Amino acid sequence: MNKIFLQIIRFVVLVLFQVLVINHIRLGGYVHPYIYLIFIMLLPFNTPKWQLLVLGFFLGIIIDVFTGTPGLHAGATTLMAFCRPSIISLISGNQKFDNIQEPNLGQLDGMWFFRYVLCLVFIHHFALFFLESFSFRLIGQVLLRILLSVPVSVFLIMMILYIFKTERKRE
Amino acid sequence: MYNLQRFILKHHFVILFILLEVISILLLARSQNFHRNSLVNTSNAVVGKIYEWSSEVGNYFRLNTTNEQLAEENAMLRRQLSIVYDTASCVFDVNEGDTLYEYIPAQVVNNSTNQTNNYIIINKGAKDGIERDMSVISSDGIVGVVTDVSRHYASIMSLLHSKSVVGVRFKNNQEIAGLKWQTNNYRYGMVEDIPTHIVLQKGDTIVTSSHSYIFPEDLMVGTVEEFYPTAVDALNKAKIRFATDFSTLRHVYIIKDLHKPEIDSLKAKFQ
Repeated sequence: MNKIFLQIIRFVVLVLFQVLVINHIRLGGYVHPYIYLIFIMLLPFNTPKWQLLVLGFFLGIIIDVFTGTPGLHAGATTLMAFCRPSIISLISGNQKFDNIQEPNLGQLDGMWFFRYVLCLVFIHHFALFFLESFSFRLIGQVLLRILLSVPVSVFLIMMILYIFKTERKRE
Repeated sequence: MYNLQRFILKHHFVILFILLEVISILLLARSQNFHRNSLVNTSNAVVGKIYEWSSEVGNYFRLNTTNEQLAEENAMLRRQLSIVYDTASCVFDVNEGDTLYEYIPAQVVNNSTNQTNNYIIINKGAKDGIERDMSVISSDGIVGVVTDVSRHYASIMSLLHSKSVVGVRFKNNQEIAGLKWQTNNYRYGMVEDIPTHIVLQKGDTIVTSSHSYIFPEDLMVGTVEEFYPTAVDALNKAKIRFATDFSTLRHVYIIKDLHKPEIDSLKAKFQ
């Protein structure tokens, strides 16, 4: 029960931080960082796959309601949630997380986490900026947006995760 | 039937994924249409309220600049008024029936400038007489068009929108053209259909044309920043600096065209 409550708080805080603060930061016309993806990244490893999709879609739609772009963030975040299980098994190889419940910077190797965040952010931004232009006409601009926004998003996400990391409890 | 069930159970992850993506893309495709009747209302009460709270915090820090802007606008209006009184040398009796437009003041509660399609949310809605397709201006120039209305809030399609096209006129030679936004810089727009015999100077003023069905005529749009003459058999281009500064937009006016029902009914007769 407590854990669900924590997830709800995380959801609300991340959405509000994204739409009220991050969306108003102007870093030139091409850089649009998105940090609300942290919610999907930090879901427990044993979350049922269908729940990942539904939560991803729901998170995206809420962001869409705030930015006035129905379907845009929902589509990109659903794709990211779809890719999450494959990305985890791809980058961790034979590593097993038997005693770790959810991805956490304090309990997992930093390099593993960096790759995890980079892959998911890239998938999300790629889908997002292509869906946003809704055509291949402005392909140069779209690629520039992706190239410039991904590093900024990854940096912000890693910073936030670093600030709020919880160390492994000693038993 | 049993096989179908088993198939769905086995591939539920992929099926659900495809279903959700199809919904997203349908929603997105719908919203590409300017006259959208979107399933997700972007000017709903909860979102409006949250943005309003957040903008109230910022408003206190901008009171000074806002006051200055309003005082400047007042001074300009007084100047214009004095010209009217002087030339006519008689007192106008301006009553309700004579005015073409009604101006409804509103405050911006949320605004973006860095997306491909930017929308503005204001704190006036259907309750205050705001309707779809009304034009919106600031004290400096035009801002956009109302696209979605709820009871207390309305969302405006900003000029900074990939689908935005405004009919404009160059003030010194009356030539008409279409103004678009290039989706990367919130200060500049682009006019791409200038006939070759027209040559523009930096600083030339651009206003709305009478061909624009949305905006009233002669509203300030911007000034020419750079003129690009092209080779033979092509149209000239010009980079336009918007008169409105979208990054600091706070107070706007919604223009209610009092003759619109009349024009609409005439138009309906032609069709």
